[in-house]
Amino acid sequence: MDPASNGIQEPFDLIRLSLSERVFVKLRGDRELTGVLHAYDGHMNLILSDVEETIMIVDQIEGAPEGHTTVNIAKRKMDMLFVRGDGVILVSPPSRT
Amino acid sequence: MDDSTPPPPSAPADPSPPPPPTTSGSPTDFLKGVVGKRVVVRLTSGVDYRGILSCLDGYMNIALEQTEEHVNGRVTNQYGDAFIRGNNVLYISAAEPL
Repeated sequence: MDPASNGIQEPFDLIRLSLSERVFVKLRGDRELTGVLHAYDGHMNLILSDVEETIMIVDQIEGAPEGHTTVNIAKRKMDMLFVRGDGVILVSPPSRT
Repeated sequence: MDDSTPPPPSAPADPSPPPPPTTSGSPTDFLKGVVGKRVVVRLTSGVDYRGILSCLDGYMNIALEQTEEHVNGRVTNQYGDAFIRGNNVLYISAAEPL
């Protein structure tokens, strides 16, 4: 394989290197999570702890021109969470320095 | 001269053969060629991710470095590294010459 700059040979290596770290997860349905990654599998099912979920609620204003929306943000916290892999869009580990 | 066989409407008679394609090879060859290069990854949602392609796998799961998230032409997020789950990918575009 191509010798990537930091020893990553396949995309899952990025996730493996993030175990026990706080990760950012972007989900379908305008939801985002941050939490500590405990486990994952090939479906990208995830186990996260100390999770904060951010939900972007986009509302079309009555009678307003097309595309004129307000975004409300709701947050909630969970101690332990199983995330089903098919909802995952993106996972970003903490910046490795 | 011969009215029974008119030339094709959109392709004028040209004695020279059509130019060969500038690049050849399979989709896999393209993907091998863009690893380590700047790419644009568009998701089916319309969101673009611009960054350096670290690697990808058979599911088209993608690892990107120095990633910028673009929504409607605006940068909305930046990530040092990003894993994108392959089922969300619409296309991968080379953003620099191969």
